[in-house]
Amino acid sequence: MMALVVRVRRRVRPDAPAICPEVARSLQRYLDGEVDAKTLRLVAAHLEICRRCGLEAQTYRALKAALRRSGAPPAEPIERLRSFADRVAAGDVPDEG
Amino acid sequence: MSTQPGARGPDAAFQEHVVPEIGVLYRVALSITRSPADAEDLVQDTLLRAYRGIGSFDGRHPRAWLLTILRNAQVNRVRRRRPDLMDDPDEVTGRAATTEDESAQPEEAFMAGVLDEHLRAALDELPIKFRQVVDLVDVNELSYQEAADALGVPMGTVMSRLSRARRRLRDHLARDGILPRRRRG
Repeated sequence: MMALVVRVRRRVRPDAPAICPEVARSLQRYLDGEVDAKTLRLVAAHLEICRRCGLEAQTYRALKAALRRSGAPPAEPIERLRSFADRVAAGDVPDEG
Repeated sequence: MSTQPGARGPDAAFQEHVVPEIGVLYRVALSITRSPADAEDLVQDTLLRAYRGIGSFDGRHPRAWLLTILRNAQVNRVRRRRPDLMDDPDEVTGRAATTEDESAQPEEAFMAGVLDEHLRAALDELPIKFRQVVDLVDVNELSYQEAADALGVPMGTVMSRLSRARRRLRDHLARDGILPRRRRG
């Protein structure tokens, strides 16, 4: 129901400031850099003035940052794969199996 | 600036478009196979296929091109091992999940290391489908479309799984008192 209200409101007032339910729907995509320029502007403006949504964004930013830190890959396999790629590029290509 | 691969020969195109993506390819392969050895084999297979196909590659979006190759290579590997699993694309990219990635090396502490420590336990509790999208988008910083290409699922599926995965992680960490609880309404 709230989603419908948000959609109708946006259609009637395309340039209205974003409201909390609208921001909640877009927040994940916003933090992932997957929104269009208009949504980016609306959400960013709302996060500046809304403490609750701002805290929500901060929480997910912390979570994303921790996840990114958790994923440092081991260097050895990547080094081996680079050597393999060098051999492939040098024409040392195994037969298709 | 991308170069038309045919203009400079396959070796130069391979070095320019493929080699810089090896790190991403390995991490994606690790997310899909959950096995360092299988991941390395899968990337080798992908590199060979890319080398053979570089002549017909137009030089645009090399990562998307390579992720599609990687996924097709994985489909073939699973088909060879388990022909009965081919109906569901998730089986191709998820069923092999048996071992945990023991390679995670957090670079720095966060909130005195508490969040990182609790996060690992929260990740371990995630179902594999959710864990994969988190690995691809949050850990390895792939776009939704790139993650969808790697997993062979629609982009909407990536988005919904990601949202549910983060909610679960957040709830787990909120129960531990590490993050604020989700708001209602």
